[in-house]
Amino acid sequence: MTKAQQNYFELFGLEPNFSIDVPKLSAKLRTLLNSVHPDRFASSGAQQQMLSMQKTTQLNDAFAVLKHPVKRAQYLLHLKTGIDTAKDHTVNDPEFLMQQLELREELETISGGNDISQLHQFADKISALEEEQESRMTELFQQEPLDTDELEKAIYKLQFLHKTLSDIEQAEDKLLG
Amino acid sequence: MALLQISEPGKSTDPHQHKLAAGIDLGTTNSLIATVRSGKAETLPDLEGDHILPSIVHYTKDGTVSVGKSAKLFVCSDAKNTISSVKRLMGRGLKDVQKIKEFSANQLTASGTGMPAVETDCGIKNPVEVSSEILKALVKRAEDSLGGELGGVVITVPAYFDEAQRQATKDAAQIAGVKVLRLISEPTAAAVAYGLDTGSEGIHAIYDLGGGTFDISILRLEKGVFEVMATGGDSALGGDDFDRAIAGYLVEQANIDKNDRGAYQMAMIKARDVKEALTDKESVEINFMHWKGSMDRALMNSIIAPIVDKTLVACRRTLKDAGLKASEVQDIVMVGGSTRVPLVREKVETYFGKKPLTDIDPDKVVAIGAAIQADVLIGNKTDEDMLLLDVIPLSLGVETMGGLAEKIIPRNTPIPIARAQEFTTYKDGQTAMAIHVVQGERELVEDCRSLARFELRGIPPMVAGAARIKVTYQVDADGLLKVTAEETITGVKSDITVKPSYGLNDEQITSMLQSSVSHAEEDMKARMLREQQVEAKRVIEAVQAALAENGDELLSKDERHAIEEALKQLAYIADNGDIEAIEEAIKVVDKSTEEFASRRMDASIAKALVGHEIDEI
Repeated sequence: MTKAQQNYFELFGLEPNFSIDVPKLSAKLRTLLNSVHPDRFASSGAQQQMLSMQKTTQLNDAFAVLKHPVKRAQYLLHLKTGIDTAKDHTVNDPEFLMQQLELREELETISGGNDISQLHQFADKISALEEEQESRMTELFQQEPLDTDELEKAIYKLQFLHKTLSDIEQAEDKLLG
Repeated sequence: MALLQISEPGKSTDPHQHKLAAGIDLGTTNSLIATVRSGKAETLPDLEGDHILPSIVHYTKDGTVSVGKSAKLFVCSDAKNTISSVKRLMGRGLKDVQKIKEFSANQLTASGTGMPAVETDCGIKNPVEVSSEILKALVKRAEDSLGGELGGVVITVPAYFDEAQRQATKDAAQIAGVKVLRLISEPTAAAVAYGLDTGSEGIHAIYDLGGGTFDISILRLEKGVFEVMATGGDSALGGDDFDRAIAGYLVEQANIDKNDRGAYQMAMIKARDVKEALTDKESVEINFMHWKGSMDRALMNSIIAPIVDKTLVACRRTLKDAGLKASEVQDIVMVGGSTRVPLVREKVETYFGKKPLTDIDPDKVVAIGAAIQADVLIGNKTDEDMLLLDVIPLSLGVETMGGLAEKIIPRNTPIPIARAQEFTTYKDGQTAMAIHVVQGERELVEDCRSLARFELRGIPPMVAGAARIKVTYQVDADGLLKVTAEETITGVKSDITVKPSYGLNDEQITSMLQSSVSHAEEDMKARMLREQQVEAKRVIEAVQAALAENGDELLSKDERHAIEEALKQLAYIADNGDIEAIEEAIKVVDKSTEEFASRRMDASIAKALVGHEIDEI
């Protein structure tokens, strides 16, 4: 009767897909926590408390991965193919490499100046690229069979865009002093 | 003849029994205890009607301990044996606290654990022991007035309290012999008292101005999770500064030598009276030594304004940390006695652009919120929707080469949580690895707070970089951490519950627990036996309720029979056995219900998921 360890998607009663409605997922997390959180077992025995702590930890862990597009993509690829892109991996994609360099240069120039609106425009551009990349990811994960080379490249790009967005935030903090 | 009562099927054997639980505000200057009675949360007074217990402990040579008002009498006359503000020492190292003004340099000494300790005529006392005396006094007050033993308490801690400080607080409760249902942060408790947790989502500021400390916390409530976005304040700013400023004015008016300590003491007492009187009145007459005069509220306001402005500077800085504007804050909750001062309320209102919440007594609001949460946790309220989720306040990390702190769990991660990270060896043939657990946001280990160090030994000699050491951090719902390290290729394991560097180990707690019971050892034994019997009863009730609820659907006949046999056995031993036998019998029941408990958990998740699907349609 004991089931094998459920994967993160199964924990939330979902099919393993890239596209996820995060607000819905978050509401689901709350419903689930409502029935398993340690606070529900504060006056139960030690065994129940341990079990509820394990379940809650699992749910929190799963949510942290599923809500984050890069981590979700990495997890899904690993789940489906066993390929681990979370560790250092390099991708051979000269075209994207060029684009990367240009974007980094653009960010450096903007953060060197003091025009916050320029930075915001740049942020909008990266966000748009990121969204584009996320829909591409959804498509790639729907293909049969999976094109793992393309997926690895796509994950790498998404990761780069994400990192750039957080760098923009830091640059914004600096500009606002 | 009275009719016999039969409980409804599917419910616990005694569903309507109200369990006793309390919330404790364990403050730097003052402490309070509150409970929910007939649906209303209220703080409990002592026999003389005082709700506030000064957080002061006095020791005498013959071992008599007094707490609160009676201890306060000794603050001047027997300073050496009187300990105030012990909260400032909790979970800290001797070096951290030597600059704190409340403790003269010679009052503090190192205890064997690296913790600071206070030398008294009754022996060396560490902060955890001292705090446990305050907790004991509060628990006794509650048990006397409620007429029964407390099933558990919720204790509040400052939002910025780190792992070591939380652990120290929990240890104090253990020594005081009270079960901690949960530690919650003070601002969260204040928000709960006002019911903000059940209200709309948004950002709340908790403005807490006490006697000697000022804290401002920005909380975000989203999907029932209270996230502490930023905290700030000044640990040396409070209502006492108002008194000092007013006293300075009085001394000046009366033309008294500033170095006359006696006169200054009197001026302080007078100043406090004036401040309190001007909370309601517009003006007061003052007789101070040979000087007669008066003070109106405008004059007082001009004297204390610079101090209130300082708190607003801290508010501005904290809002900036949270990336917010003052106008984005939905509610401002006022906490701490000094927020009664009208100028404080006015300035806060002007700064945030809306009226702060002041309906609940600011001295009691934290304890009241804790009591509400305790009532839910002990199971008196079946309000399924009230679930308070917390995040870790500071990132947890590990030291890597070059003195860098690698974050393993970033701040604001919802708890409980477990995270693992792999590390490898630095040198060829390295057989041991030192794990240094740190907490904080800074890059360098020396800027973070050191929580614990331990070693993983017995790594098989390999070339540098070949070993795989998996370090797992696990944080429970109270924010307490356990770290394990494992070499994954060979499975060499080091399972260590991290006790903070400045904490107590289990043996120390046990020995303090024993010495804290002033009676003979038999009493101690009797108490432990009673606790074990209570635990047995709790286990039996819980399992019976579970069996009634879904034993039929989840268990085969044989499985159910085995559990029922184990329960019968436990019930018999609980009445007739000794501590060890009961402990053993509980373990047998636990073992027999292991699979059942896990199936129940899965079933409840499945049910919650189904319910959710229906909600969505």
